[in-house]
Amino acid sequence: MAELVGIFAASHGPIIARNWETMPRAHRDKLAAAFDEIGRRLKAAQPDLLVVVSPDHWVNFFINNLPAVCIGIGDEHDGPPEPFMKKVYPHPVLKGHAAFGMHLLQTALDNDFEPALSHRLRLDHGSCIPLWRAGVPPDLPLVPILVNDLEAPMPSIRRCLAWGRLLRRAVESYPEPLRVAVLGTGGLSHSIGEATMGWIDEGFDHACIKAFANGEEQALDDFLTEALPQTGNGAHEIRDWVIAHGAAGGTGFELIDYFPSPETLVGAGFASWKLPANKAGSLDHRSRQ
Amino acid sequence: MTDYWLSKLFFDLQHDPQLAADYRTDMPAVIDRYQIKPDVRRALLDDDVAALSPLVNAYLLRFYFQIRGMPEAEFIARLHAMKSSAAQTAETARHG
Repeated sequence: MAELVGIFAASHGPIIARNWETMPRAHRDKLAAAFDEIGRRLKAAQPDLLVVVSPDHWVNFFINNLPAVCIGIGDEHDGPPEPFMKKVYPHPVLKGHAAFGMHLLQTALDNDFEPALSHRLRLDHGSCIPLWRAGVPPDLPLVPILVNDLEAPMPSIRRCLAWGRLLRRAVESYPEPLRVAVLGTGGLSHSIGEATMGWIDEGFDHACIKAFANGEEQALDDFLTEALPQTGNGAHEIRDWVIAHGAAGGTGFELIDYFPSPETLVGAGFASWKLPANKAGSLDHRSRQ
Repeated sequence: MTDYWLSKLFFDLQHDPQLAADYRTDMPAVIDRYQIKPDVRRALLDDDVAALSPLVNAYLLRFYFQIRGMPEAEFIARLHAMKSSAAQTAETARHG
């Protein structure tokens, strides 16, 4: 039987890769330290595979065919296509884990979730910046979950929490011994290509961190559902953290670091979750009240 | 309101280096391959960030102006000008 051995989250602003060599040294060191800590904890967890929950930045999908959630079930995936990523993360092919991917997909369908599937995804900077900076070995099998965090309408926070619980259930029902880690990427606040571009909403970020630390899922849902439409569009990537939070059972959030990063245009956040001892609960949020 | 063909042009430019190269050398010819409305065509040729912004996803917009070679600082300044303009309009409406 498989087990969850680590749950993490990290920002992924593309400027981290684009300007890594040219950004002010002190700021780069701060980013590096946070990613290093994620990498240290991930390595200590000794995962056999990593589920990466990330948005798709118009690499796999377009508005003619845009899934709310897509699970990568292939044995291989393509590395990042962006030229600035190829320079820092030159891995054209990344290893997948078809058996667990298929099990996750089947578990989803058996529980009335209907994700899209892909036998080969292209993993853009959203997935690969944290992999690169955290020093994740490029041969560690990945099961990508791509979430529509970019184009409205997007999955509800309530549904993302349920996705997290579903992910946990899939891990715990997988018949083979497998150590599974989860990495949610993106956030915290940022604003891209809109009138407030560059805005880092520290008030949102601190409230968000407080809501995760409090852990109570209904309060987190209420806060994010109300706050997300009032902050920058990049904050919608917090859905990937919410899925990680749901996988953790809504408890154990531990902030590794947070700081506004105007150099990379994001509220830079890094976190992990202490793993609960209990097994996966109901997928229905209301039954947990 | 999302403009499908404008979005498609931006998406294709992101994925097709040859198309991006063609676009750099002959914008009108590439635009003509898509069902772009005349006012949108004008906005493209004028690099009119404010006019294009409501028509496409914000991330695609950012990518497009990177392809166009607009420095990010200038792109951000043009976006911020939209906010100032909207605020001025609202102020005018309030005071008649």
